[in-house]
Amino acid sequence: MRFVIRILLALTLAASQGAFGHAVVTHNSLKLKPVPVNQASQVELSFNSKVELDLSEVFLVSAGDVMTSISASPGAKPGQVLLDLPALAPGEYAIKLKIFAADGHLSEDLLRFFVKEPK
Amino acid sequence: MEGIANYLDSLIGGVDLTFYSIAIGGLLWGLFVLRPWDENANYNSALLQKTVNLIHFGSKALVITQLSKIGLKIWLMAVTLGKSPFPAFFHTVQFNAGLARATFAFALYLFIKQALKANLRSKTHWLVATAIVIPLVMAAAWLVHGASRLEDRGLLMTLTVSHQIAAAAWVGGIFQILALWGLKKQNAIAEELWPLLLKRFSTVGFVAVALLLVTGTPLAWYYIRTFQGFIGAGYGNLLMVKIMMMGLALGFAWINRQAVEEYFACRSLYALTVRVPYYIEAETLILLTILFTAASLASQPPSVDIPHLTATWEEVLNMFHPRVPRWESPTHEALIAGEAGRTAIVGQIPSEAATAWSDYNHNISGIFLTVMSFFAMLSYSERFHRWTRYWPIGFMGLGIFLFFRSDAESWPLGPIGFWDSTFNNGEILQHRIATFLVFMLGLYETRARVKADPGILPYLFPLMSAFGGMMLLAHSHVGFEAKTAFLIQVGHTLMGVFALILACGRWLELKLDAPGKNIAGFISVFALFQIGVILMFYREPLY
Repeated sequence: MRFVIRILLALTLAASQGAFGHAVVTHNSLKLKPVPVNQASQVELSFNSKVELDLSEVFLVSAGDVMTSISASPGAKPGQVLLDLPALAPGEYAIKLKIFAADGHLSEDLLRFFVKEPK
Repeated sequence: MEGIANYLDSLIGGVDLTFYSIAIGGLLWGLFVLRPWDENANYNSALLQKTVNLIHFGSKALVITQLSKIGLKIWLMAVTLGKSPFPAFFHTVQFNAGLARATFAFALYLFIKQALKANLRSKTHWLVATAIVIPLVMAAAWLVHGASRLEDRGLLMTLTVSHQIAAAAWVGGIFQILALWGLKKQNAIAEELWPLLLKRFSTVGFVAVALLLVTGTPLAWYYIRTFQGFIGAGYGNLLMVKIMMMGLALGFAWINRQAVEEYFACRSLYALTVRVPYYIEAETLILLTILFTAASLASQPPSVDIPHLTATWEEVLNMFHPRVPRWESPTHEALIAGEAGRTAIVGQIPSEAATAWSDYNHNISGIFLTVMSFFAMLSYSERFHRWTRYWPIGFMGLGIFLFFRSDAESWPLGPIGFWDSTFNNGEILQHRIATFLVFMLGLYETRARVKADPGILPYLFPLMSAFGGMMLLAHSHVGFEAKTAFLIQVGHTLMGVFALILACGRWLELKLDAPGKNIAGFISVFALFQIGVILMFYREPLY
């Protein structure tokens, strides 16, 4: 019986759970305020939880999945984060987030967007 | 090493809840069930020592787990962010509350070692131990989901911690009952204690379940809100699984309570010694799985926060829709050709070959299991038993099939090396463990069924099945397509529940006498059949 208990303990210790994080973006300004062409801009994100920005990283992903680190600063409201985007040529881009939530979950998120010439 | 760090970081939540329950639930058992200071209590030292040793073990393991949690978090951040998390990490709630929790757990450990063990019947010492636990529980409140919320934080933290205490009372009590049964089997306690303490615990268990419902219902409402959030998102889905498993655990608890009532009506110890201990063992497997599911739930974004990413009930039902299994696989070249587009962040192109490859793997695995369950059913007949008892060999075949097929981008079919893929991708690591487990399951179970005197070998099958169920319940396709990931997850979680039923059924088949033994065996094989059917009809969403 002792052997069985050891096996049970070992199996319990080896069990896993999902690595899907907790902090998610609930609102972003990309839909309401498109990123202008060839002009530096700011994107506003709202998270569902408090985030530790000093322990988080944000990247701009451009064609060919080239990643460039961009700066993030806290917004006026709790859970709000402001991202500084450089001037961007027309095309498809994404913002990749590695966010450490205050509850200890390190989660990743992705926001895809287009930069388009005004019609 | 990011994969393994992520994997370890995610599993430690369930381990932590288990040891928390053993420590806190053990103290509650001492206070409300055992009450060693009662003048009428007829306890010998062996019982009291065993009780306190278990709580002592729980507190020691809790210290180690909590410190490991902090260490793992630091490691995970270092490998994920590619830089040192210091000094910023020292200022986080996670670090400060985690350290406080470890400190109070250590204080409990020391107090038990230095004082309680020498004063096993002292009410004051039991109360002091409980007083030490209060700051430990308060520190834990800062580590739960609700602590990071922007609104109603205090309410959510209080509800979650109360929920955890109720769960700890149940799980910790069950561990104490198992220890008590160990003493009973050795005739180390008075005979009347077994039914008496079972009866007392049933009252505590009833209160714990009531508290679980009273605290869990508002939490579920707060984090889910809509029917679609309950049906169509990972958070709601895992909660549904928790409810299903709690129903199973309550079923066993109810049977045990009936047996205790019968004993006090007619004084026959038969059911209490021949059936109840094994029902409690099965209940323990279920409760441990619930704890791991609860930890998994805490890492999911609440449904209320992702209404734009939840699936409709039609999309969920479609995952279980009967259809002809996929017999033909795309070529490995076609699969690899589509991978760059599928995994691209910018300019992503869904890969039909990747989806078809996955469907084929799942559907063929389903055929393996369905055929095996058919032979398993036949093995109960005297006429076919001689050759059908080899049915677990199918697991070995399935393990080999999965080894080659489950992660086609890595060795042996793909270009990524074995070690590189295993330790840098949490998903591949889980697949590798599952594959190994399936193969070993086949090997051991075949030997167990063929050997004349298999010893403890037959017990490995239910234990490994339960472990497989835990992995399925926790299975995660890490990525950024939350809705797709959920639709894949929903099938896996249902299979996880059936894997747990398979494990409990087989465990009881090995332990019980007839007719319970035969019923449990049939339920176990039927659960295997259900897993096979789900896999046979599986269709992965295109992404």
